[in-house]
Amino acid sequence: MAHIELSGVSKTFGETQALTDLSLDIADGQFFVLLGETGAGKTTTLRLIAGLENPDQGRVLIDGQDVTRWGAAERDVALVLQQYSLYPRYTVRQNLEFPLKSPIRKTSAEEIAARIARVAKTLRIEHLLDRKTDKLSGGEMQRVSIGRAIVRTPKVFLMDEPLSALDAKLRESLRAELKDLQMNLGETFLFVTHDQVEAMSMGDRIGVLNNGVLAQVGTPHEIYTNPINTFVARAVGSPAMNLLAGTAQNGRAVMGGIDLALEGPAAERPLIFGIRPEDLVVEAGAEVDAQVVDVENHGVEKIVTLQSAGQALRATVPVTVKVAKGEAVRFGWNPGKVLMFDPASGRSLRHGG
Amino acid sequence: MTQIELRGINKHFGDFHVINDVNLTVEDTEFVVFLGQSGCGKTTTLRAIAGLETIDSGEILIGGKPVHMTRPEARDVAFVFQNFALYPHLTVYENMAFPLRAVRTPKAEVDRTVRRVADVLQIGSLLNRRPSALSGGDLQRVAIGRALVRNPKAMLMDEPIGSLDAKLREEMRVELKRLHVQQGSTTIYVTHDQIEAMALADRIVVMHAGVLQQVGTPEEVYANPVNLFVAQFVGSPVMNVADVALSEAGAGAVLTVAGAAEGFAVPSALLGQMQAKASKPLTLGIRPEAIALSLQAEPGAVAAKAHLVEPLGSHDIVDFHIGGATMRARTRAGLVGKPGTPIWARLDPARAHLFDSESGLSHGIKL
Repeated sequence: MAHIELSGVSKTFGETQALTDLSLDIADGQFFVLLGETGAGKTTTLRLIAGLENPDQGRVLIDGQDVTRWGAAERDVALVLQQYSLYPRYTVRQNLEFPLKSPIRKTSAEEIAARIARVAKTLRIEHLLDRKTDKLSGGEMQRVSIGRAIVRTPKVFLMDEPLSALDAKLRESLRAELKDLQMNLGETFLFVTHDQVEAMSMGDRIGVLNNGVLAQVGTPHEIYTNPINTFVARAVGSPAMNLLAGTAQNGRAVMGGIDLALEGPAAERPLIFGIRPEDLVVEAGAEVDAQVVDVENHGVEKIVTLQSAGQALRATVPVTVKVAKGEAVRFGWNPGKVLMFDPASGRSLRHGG
Repeated sequence: MTQIELRGINKHFGDFHVINDVNLTVEDTEFVVFLGQSGCGKTTTLRAIAGLETIDSGEILIGGKPVHMTRPEARDVAFVFQNFALYPHLTVYENMAFPLRAVRTPKAEVDRTVRRVADVLQIGSLLNRRPSALSGGDLQRVAIGRALVRNPKAMLMDEPIGSLDAKLREEMRVELKRLHVQQGSTTIYVTHDQIEAMALADRIVVMHAGVLQQVGTPEEVYANPVNLFVAQFVGSPVMNVADVALSEAGAGAVLTVAGAAEGFAVPSALLGQMQAKASKPLTLGIRPEAIALSLQAEPGAVAAKAHLVEPLGSHDIVDFHIGGATMRARTRAGLVGKPGTPIWARLDPARAHLFDSESGLSHGIKL
């Protein structure tokens, strides 16, 4: 059980500014996901909390206690990495025992056995306990790595892309398992990923990192429906939100030849209009004409790429909608779902842009 | 014109039968995706076509000619790997010109080809940079460019975008497709990611344990999987499967999940259709979007409690338990507020699949 707080943390590596004035508050028992691209500073943040890096400025607090200068071993956090590091010649049981046998912890033999039994049950690896780890599949190994973190009952779990080296299928099932695990344990999880689906589906809250700066923190719903700027708008959702430059005029969005109605009054000014692919409507009789330049069939839905007045837009439609490459179609949008951003700052008008 | 044909090819690594009697014809200009887990034999098959692996038996034909006596470099196929290898001390231009210079192509032609391909890949502005100054996506574009300059008969790609960030992967997917449309070269693409397969393929080849499971368009493979493996490999979230019993109920029929008190209503026609089959254990397969959730009791629906809610923005995925099975349904965003909410689940019988539990084969029943 732990509450994590970062306050004004900055970190540079040589010439590179990895993190800039980062402040973050992760409540006790929360599943917090940091989302960002390679190089955004996610792993650095994690390592600062783990005590594997020291910040140049700012403080790290765990349960209100300033741990900025504490070593990694004193912080009682567990780290799970993308590349699992298990002892190859040991069995799963021996690998799980290892963190408990540390001389400073002095856990009794009965206690060790009981904890391993509980962890193995939680992660469904009971049948693997006496197997050598080099005889395990990738998913099994990752479960054992997580198991090794859990047996210690640390205050905080830090996970650095633990699923990204796994096959797509396995990633999906472990995603639900991890979320389930966190709910059962009720512990604080900080999970780092570049995959927005992982972030959305697991996080109680998501922090979006852009180039060392925390762009926005919110629930998956807030981040998705009310992004603070165009960067966050495009960071979540697949396919990405359509962003079109234009002007608001007489209650309509005029976007270089695409002209669509807006909801409510809008000041006349240059804007970037954002609309998610599922909020575009492709149907006969809609306001604007377009050419279908690509159709991706994903089984449950189709992703249609439209070309209209020299601009490309992506729309998702139900799989039952008949649409083919090269076809001329008409489209409109759901005016209630349009977001507006300031072209200079990229900031959403709802967030004072 | 490059057709690629595999005729009864087999390959063993010691006792391990890595390619098991694979027959396949890839048509000229077709984009075929080999989809499967790691270790299923997809990469080995690709390497055999390229000539990087020998085969134990069978025949590989490229453009109608058997190639087993042809060295890899003479097969005129280009290979793009996940871990692209560029020369770090050469510029992008020099990296792309390398394969042409190696075969003593005239200077003017090298220049023309490199610029044309760079244009197609939209890396024209990067030609004087060195690889160390490029992003992951640009590096992969250059690697593809280097494969393309030779204007090969066929492109073989082994997870070419697997190591990129999710966002970039999505952009590169679109680009690869555009490129294929422009170039029209016969392409075989290997991946474990069913989203890539669905998005890119003219036809998907699902492989498992060295055996071709199903070959078909993305629509066919998604809507009519031939067995439980294919059913659960294509589609995200995974198709729900559960052991079920079929029984009469009043004027209709119900499918009851093992261990559950109530069953899902299905049309009585199913009883007749199943009578023709031997009475073997049945497995129900139902995709998350073919389960409708309601917050009120409905006839033919099964009561449950939401266990997990995964919000994905455009929609939610709700996990719940029925009998001994965990099921997931795709609902509109926000329908089920939070875990613990009572829900009622109903099946769309037209999209229900029934499999033989022992063989895993689909009964091919359409309701």
